Amino acid sequence: MSFFSDSYHLFIRWMKKLVRNPILVFFSLFQPIIFLVLFTQLFSKFGSLIGPGVSYTVFATAGIVLQNAFSSAFQSGTSVVDDIKSGFLTKMLATPVNRSAILFGRILSDMFRVAVQTIIILALAYVLGVYPQTGVLGYVLVILTVGFSGLAWSGISLALGLKTKSGETVFGIAGFLTFPLLFMSTALVNPTSMPPWMQTVSSYNPISFAVNAIRSLIMPPPHCIICTNVFDWSTILQAYGVIALIGVVTLGATLYLFRKVVS
Amino acid sequence: MTGIIDVSQLAKTYGDGTKAVKGISFNVSEGEFFGFLGPNGAGKSTTIKILTTLLRKTSGSASVAGFDVDSDGAKIRKIIGVQNQDTVVDEDLTGRENMTLQGELQQMHGQALNERVDELLKIVDLVDAADKRAGFYSGGMKKRLDLATTLVHDPKILFLDEPTTGLDPQSRAAIWAYLKRLNEQGITIFITTQYLEEVDRLCRRLAIVDLGEIVAQGTPSELKQEIGADSISLGFENSTMNGGDTRSKAKELLEKKFDGISNIVNSDIGLTVYAKNGGFLVPEIVRAFDDAKIGLSSIGVSSPTLDDVFLKHTGKRIRVEEVSSANYRGMFSRRRR
Repeated sequence: MSFFSDSYHLFIRWMKKLVRNPILVFFSLFQPIIFLVLFTQLFSKFGSLIGPGVSYTVFATAGIVLQNAFSSAFQSGTSVVDDIKSGFLTKMLATPVNRSAILFGRILSDMFRVAVQTIIILALAYVLGVYPQTGVLGYVLVILTVGFSGLAWSGISLALGLKTKSGETVFGIAGFLTFPLLFMSTALVNPTSMPPWMQTVSSYNPISFAVNAIRSLIMPPPHCIICTNVFDWSTILQAYGVIALIGVVTLGATLYLFRKVVS
Repeated sequence: MTGIIDVSQLAKTYGDGTKAVKGISFNVSEGEFFGFLGPNGAGKSTTIKILTTLLRKTSGSASVAGFDVDSDGAKIRKIIGVQNQDTVVDEDLTGRENMTLQGELQQMHGQALNERVDELLKIVDLVDAADKRAGFYSGGMKKRLDLATTLVHDPKILFLDEPTTGLDPQSRAAIWAYLKRLNEQGITIFITTQYLEEVDRLCRRLAIVDLGEIVAQGTPSELKQEIGADSISLGFENSTMNGGDTRSKAKELLEKKFDGISNIVNSDIGLTVYAKNGGFLVPEIVRAFDDAKIGLSSIGVSSPTLDDVFLKHTGKRIRVEEVSSANYRGMFSRRRR
């Protein structure tokens, strides 16, 4: 099946491009790291609002690793626009390459990249004293959740890129979406400290679902006494359901738009 | 089914109603070096895109190596090499990686692929730069790399859209020499270009398209013979004489005294006269002008060129983009990722 080998070769292409443009990784890691190191200090008093003895750094880490998936995923669309504009996509299309593999190779590389960045952030968080209470499996599940979220969200930027064929537009819309979605979710604040209307928004915000799952893996659930190795499976499964739903919609749209560009 | 490329009544109308190609027919035999010429917007690129399965035709029929462009696209893509008008290489990858990736997308792998890449690097003279990123290559090197990437899978037919535009004369000559060798090895070449001298030298047959229609096709010598006249270019010492315009005086004289002149047009330096047997006419013209006291600064005869053929059929001179403008674009264009 040329689908797998083509996807693999194109995945390698994107990985090489990423490694050779470390500035791209720097930019998408810069914000989460600033959040993790400085932002959490600035809002350290928020912790006591959440519960007695709760560290805000521990609380916010879940939101910060997800934010990293978010910002990297939005670079995906611009890269595809670059391939369209430079003619590289056309060049590929004149070969027998499997059409879907062109997209899949890119999505795979996005997922892999987000996972690696998550590991970097989690390592830094460990230095700051934050680590999943659920142990190794917790780490694995955090990385997977962030990775799959990145995959689902990269579908949005890919679809935008294919539709508008303008990197600037993708960037503009991404910037426009990132902050409202992030702040009106459970990523950085406890919903109880939000005005009621925002609580409602937050409870439907897809980001909240993923953040809640990651947080349930990192932070001990409130009011429990022995809190290690307790998995809140219903929260985790809910998150995967929402991610799958978003993924199907955004990647479906991407595939549809890609077919249109290709034919 | 006579040729390796068969096109019959091919038409393409874009979504916005633009009729880019209006029912063209031609065929290319196996092993031929075929030139496809025309002014900008004539429909050349549209035709190439249809033949290389990148664009769907509106009507008519087109086949490549016996495969229909609509139903057998996948089979066509395995045996063609396509070079776009813009140089397309991944600037973050090295020359070798660019070529290897194209080979992999053509389902090649392992030792055979590595050997083929090494062989091609030698041929396009990029061995020393093979492991440098293409972003550091000069314009000529990128173009050679681009050409090499289209050859990894040893295609039977090569489609080239303006392969030498924007290159310095040396790189241009290198590419043409290489294309000639490829053709001698049996690869069919379908090319659009603005360099008519090279077309004249290398193309066995050519077609001229204008406004979506083929206005002439044949061998270069057939087409030149059709013009049927040499051109004599005359330069004058002074643009005015005795208070009148030298050009119109000279024109009057030529029309009065000489038969067999088919056309007289103004040129930058004076006049261009089209006539049969131009060589014999020259001494007579000189004598006549001498008698009429019209001072000539230069006189030259040339047999018809493809440029004249092109002018006759399209009403336009072919315009070659200057290298300097290409450099300008290169300097300010955004780095591709």
